[in-house]
This record gives sequence, structure tokens and C-alpha cells, in this order.
Amino acid sequence: MRTKQLLLTVFVSLLLFPSLVFSAGTKESAAKTTDDGVITLSVYHYLDQTDKTTAPNFAYLVEEFERKNPNIKLQFEYGYGESFHDKLQTLAVSGQLPDIILLYPGKRTSQVTSAGLVKDLRPYLQGHENEFADMAMQAQGEKGEIWELPEDISITSIMFTNNRLLKELGLSLPKTYAELLAQGPIIRKAGLIPLSIANKDAWPMQSCVAGMLLERTGGMEWFDKAIAGDARFDDQVVVDAMEIIKELTDKEMFSPGTNQLAYGQGLDDFVNERAVYFIDGGWTVNNMVGELTDEQKTYMSLESFPDVPNQKGKSLSVSATAGQGFGMNAKLSDKESEAAWKWIWFYSGPEGSAIRQRFGRLPAYNLSEPSDADPMIKKLISFAGNVPMGYVMDSVLGAEPIGTFNINLQNMMFGTMSPKQVAQELETMVEAIDRK
Amino acid sequence: MTFSQQKRASYWLLLSPGLLLFSAVIVFPVVFSFSLSFTTWSGYGFPKFMGFANYTKILADPIFQHSLRNNLLIVAISVFGQIPLGFLLAFMLHRRMVKGGEFYQTMIFLPITISPVVVALLWNQIFSASGLITAIVRRIYDDPRYVMTIFENRNLAILPILFVLLWMHTGTYMIIYLANLQKITPSVLEAAQIDGASESQMLGRIILPSMIGTIATTAILAISGSLKAFDLIFAMTGGGPAHFTEVIALYMYTNTFKYYKYGYGSAVSILIVLLAVGLILILQTISRRIERNYE
Repeated sequence: MRTKQLLLTVFVSLLLFPSLVFSAGTKESAAKTTDDGVITLSVYHYLDQTDKTTAPNFAYLVEEFERKNPNIKLQFEYGYGESFHDKLQTLAVSGQLPDIILLYPGKRTSQVTSAGLVKDLRPYLQGHENEFADMAMQAQGEKGEIWELPEDISITSIMFTNNRLLKELGLSLPKTYAELLAQGPIIRKAGLIPLSIANKDAWPMQSCVAGMLLERTGGMEWFDKAIAGDARFDDQVVVDAMEIIKELTDKEMFSPGTNQLAYGQGLDDFVNERAVYFIDGGWTVNNMVGELTDEQKTYMSLESFPDVPNQKGKSLSVSATAGQGFGMNAKLSDKESEAAWKWIWFYSGPEGSAIRQRFGRLPAYNLSEPSDADPMIKKLISFAGNVPMGYVMDSVLGAEPIGTFNINLQNMMFGTMSPKQVAQELETMVEAIDRK
Repeated sequence: MTFSQQKRASYWLLLSPGLLLFSAVIVFPVVFSFSLSFTTWSGYGFPKFMGFANYTKILADPIFQHSLRNNLLIVAISVFGQIPLGFLLAFMLHRRMVKGGEFYQTMIFLPITISPVVVALLWNQIFSASGLITAIVRRIYDDPRYVMTIFENRNLAILPILFVLLWMHTGTYMIIYLANLQKITPSVLEAAQIDGASESQMLGRIILPSMIGTIATTAILAISGSLKAFDLIFAMTGGGPAHFTEVIALYMYTNTFKYYKYGYGSAVSILIVLLAVGLILILQTISRRIERNYE
């Protein structure tokens, strides 16, 4: 009997031990202040450290900040792609969220923001709201909270155009979708790709094409209604948008084997002038600054996708969203929060934005066009100022509906799903998950 | 305290650090995962009990069914591809049927020393739509739009991955068999040779019977490894396009970490364990029968 009791006690202790070890509360924050008044803050950032353009640019920004704020030391940890989000989730669930975290304005990091793990930045931002693009100041939380200060405005559906190739082929910029389709055989006959896009990762077709087409076929009013549940994602306007993607695929307008091409190949084909058009986000200008020659920059332009049949949305519209930005851990003390805000404001405010603009980004902070900027940056700024903007789907819909939709777009392109089925499944998922 | 009590107490004292560690890293995660599989939980708040809902949903999901089919193909290529090929190569090297055996031994074993991510990148350079094969065919046929369509076929997309897995893991089995073949007393084989036995007779009557245990062990390793297959496929195709090359571990990863469905993901992991245990039990039954035939 005693042995049994002993065994039971040991077994229960063994079960409880790890629970006590692993769930024994969470640390307040990782921030440290040394005797000489230097505050060290941990930062979790989204960065591809092997990117020859973005990584050195970011390092320069950090250097500038630390030079101007010798009392604040930033300790960075980086993540990239899906692993960034996996780690963020793990850090959040285990109560080890860093002091400063890169967050997204929409649903992408809502599991962290909606759990009350980060501070509302509105009190810090007070009085500066008008200095940012309207899109960047849209509420990110249910009560109007701003969880992160957007660094950029991300236009996700720019149709980059090689005007030299167009001219050589005797073509001009298409004003309608039909004109674009008609150019396909001529471009292919010349051994070129009509519309370069690499969709192996499945998100580019949604983020760079589908959202823009939805705004065109349905208009913003419909889009708002669909998000709110007053319209449906299997309405005819969605099917129409899907049919355009299907037709572009069937008529071989996209890069051959687009669903097998790793992201980056689309840009590579465009920069090496194997493609006449290239659909991607404004962030690629950052890479184009370094990869295009001065001569190429004179004949490459930024355009909108042409008008589509039965268009209800605005002509030349693009999909856009306020980009990601830094937010701060809700557990920071006043002093630590002040230091964290200094970095956030430096990065997304006038100083950091001016630096990033020169590197090819489109800051959310309102800046005048720099006279010494690279021609591609000037083109991006001018483009952004002249096009109507709609939603990017993955910034307004949840992870699972969008993840499924991305894959279904690939299925549709392979012919294993119809445009109608893609629309129906999107509506089912949004209804079951986002609107519940 | 009596001597036997002291003895028992000392056992517990000495065992407790190991038991605590084992409990922390093995028992707790398994029990936690098993409990979680009956709930819905996004990582925050309290899990909500769902009964067997996760399991029924998983089994009815066509993506899971396709992933399971891909996993079973990987099991098949491991058990019926890597193991026989590894054995054959080990036999040839052991019986010195080829010249420069050490060179081939190193070459065949080399792939397993390379990180799966590097292997994936390497073979992507060959198979991808912007890779080597495509470039060569485009040049030969002067067709700039040529791409290998195998990856765009739901049923065939897994084949290039199976080929890479065969290339990558055969060396492991070859080394295991080679080591075990060296344990066979040379005088037995020499005696058989003197008695006029051919290589195939020696293989069938002496070598294979003495290797049954090893073959069964490697088959267990192959099955459990195949059901866990993740790294190479994640780096090579990410399960795409359109889930065509998805395996159960990737399905679990997507649901757990991309869609934050921890309960659902846990249920998938429990199914992987059950599947592995089931397949291994079948294998053990078969190997016992074979062993009995040779007794």
C-alpha cells in the first residue's frame, strides 16, 4: 500500500514539476538599465539578413539611432518569412515577448495585438497624427488602438513596365484588359514573358493581383460590405475577378511555371529584361534601385493594371495597406516605454523615414520628394500620389481564410478548382472564422 | 529505516534527476499534446473541450488524406527502395564485386552528411522551373516557355521528392548493412564457397537469414522517419504547389503555427504516432513470421 502511495506521489510530482517549471509566471520585460543610465531593449524584427540591400540599410538606421541616443542600446533578434511569425507566436505564448516587436496593422499579427500583449501607441503619437498618410492612421484595434507605427505604405500591385521592350515590339501601354490580353501572343512570339510573377509561395497572386482585381470588379463599397458580412465573397464580382486570373493563366500571360517559381524570380526576369511587365509590390523598388542600371531606370515605369470588363471600382486603382511597424511590450515600465518610443518614432517618424525613402521605400510619414533621390524612388512617390488605393486581402482577412484562398488560387490555375468554387470556399471560411 | 527501505530510497534519489528531466522533456509534452488534441486552443486563454471533433475533421479533410497518401509513398520508397538498394549496395561492396569500393562507399554515404536544406536547394536548382533541366530543355527545343509539368500534377508532384529521398538516405542503410555484413564470420562464407555455393545461394541461404533482425530494425527506422518527413520537403516545395507535395508533418505545422490551431495540430501529431505504431506492429509481425521460417 505504502509503495503504491509512494509511486503515486512520485508520478503526480513528475507531472506537476514541468508545469511548475514552464508555467511559473512570466518575466516582466527583458529591458535592463545599467548604473550609468543606459537602457538595453530587446527588439524582434522582420529582416532577411542575407538581403544585400535591406540588411545594410537597416544596419545604417540602427547605427544612426544609437549615435543619436547613446543611452539606449538595442539588442536585435531577427526572423524572416514564416519562421518570423512562428517565433513571434512562441514568444508571445510563452510570455517572453521582447520589448519592441515588429507588428502588422491587419490580421497578420492580431493574435499578439488582440491578446493585450502590446501597448496602444496613441498617447505617444498624440499631436503627430496629421504627419502620416491617412491609411497609416487607421485604427488597428477594436477600440481604435494603434498597436504599431507603420513604417511604409505598401502598394502591393504595381505593374512595372519595360517601355523599351514595349516600343521594340511596336506596342503601347494597354488601357484595357482586352488590350493587355491581345499583346500576349506578340510578346511570347518574341520569346519574352508578358506578365512576370513568381507564385510558388502562393501569396503573391493574392496579395499582388487578386485584391486589386476585387477592388476593380466590386469597388470599395462592396469590399467594405463583404468584410462586414453585408455582402458575400462568393458574389459574382469575386467570381469575375477569379475568372480574370484564370484567363490570364490559360492564355499564358504569366511567367511559365509561375506556381513553381520562388519569389524573387519575377524580379530577376524583369531586371534581366526577359519580361515586359512585372507585377509586385512597391517594396521591390528597394531592390530595383541597386539592380537596374542607370539606363534601365530611364525606360522602366510604374503603372496600374488596365481597366477590366464591367469595372465597378476605380480606374488605375491598386491594392495597398499601411505597412508593418514597431510596437512595444505592454509590460514595459514608463522609463523603458519612453526609450522604446524613441526608437519607434525615430524609425517611422521624420528621421528614419527620410533615410528609408532614400533607400527606396515609400514611408507612411509625409515627406516632400527628395531632389537627390534615385529615379525609381521618384517614380514610386509620384505613382503613389496618383493612384486610388483599395485593400490588400491578407491585411483584412484572417490567416486561415487567406491561407486557404492562396492555395485555392493555385488550384484554380491548375484547373483543379473553378473560379466559382474558389469564391465559395473563401466565403465559407470568412463566415466561419472571421465573422463569427 | 531498514536496509531495504534505505536501498529503495537511494534508488529513488538517484533516479529522480533523470526521471524529472525525462518527465519535463518527454512525458509532459506528450501528455499535454494528447490532452490538447481534444480541445480547440489558439495559444491564449483556456482550451475549450471538443471531444473527438478534431480527429473527425482531420480524417475527413482531403488535404490530410492527400498528405497521408504522400507519406505512405515515402514509407514505400523507404522500405521498398532505400532498404533493398542499401542492402544490395552493401552486399556488392562487401563481396568486393566492384573495384574502388571505398570510393563508392564514400560517395553513396556522402548525401546523408549534407544538411537537408542544402540538399533541397541543390535539387531545386535542378528541378525548379528556373532550374537546370528546364534550362537545358529550353535550349534544346528552343522553347522559352518550357517547364517540367510534373510538379503541377497532383498525383505525380511527389515523385521528384521521392527520388531525392532515395538518393539521400540509401547511404545510411548501406552503411548499417555493411557494418552488419562484416559481423558474419568469414569462414562460414568461405566454407560455403568451397562447397560450391554461388553468390546468390550465399545471399539467400546465409547472408539474408542472418540479417533479418537488422533489416527489421532498419525498416522500423525507415517507417518512423518517413512519417516524420518534414525538413527536406519544407525546404524544397513547402508542400506546394496547392498542397500537391504536402505530408502530414507539414499539414500539422501549417495548422498549428500558421493558423494557430494548437488543438488541431496536436490531434494530427497523435495520429502520426498512432500510424507509426500501427505500421511498426505490422512490420514486426511480418518479420517474426519470416524469422520463424528460417528457424
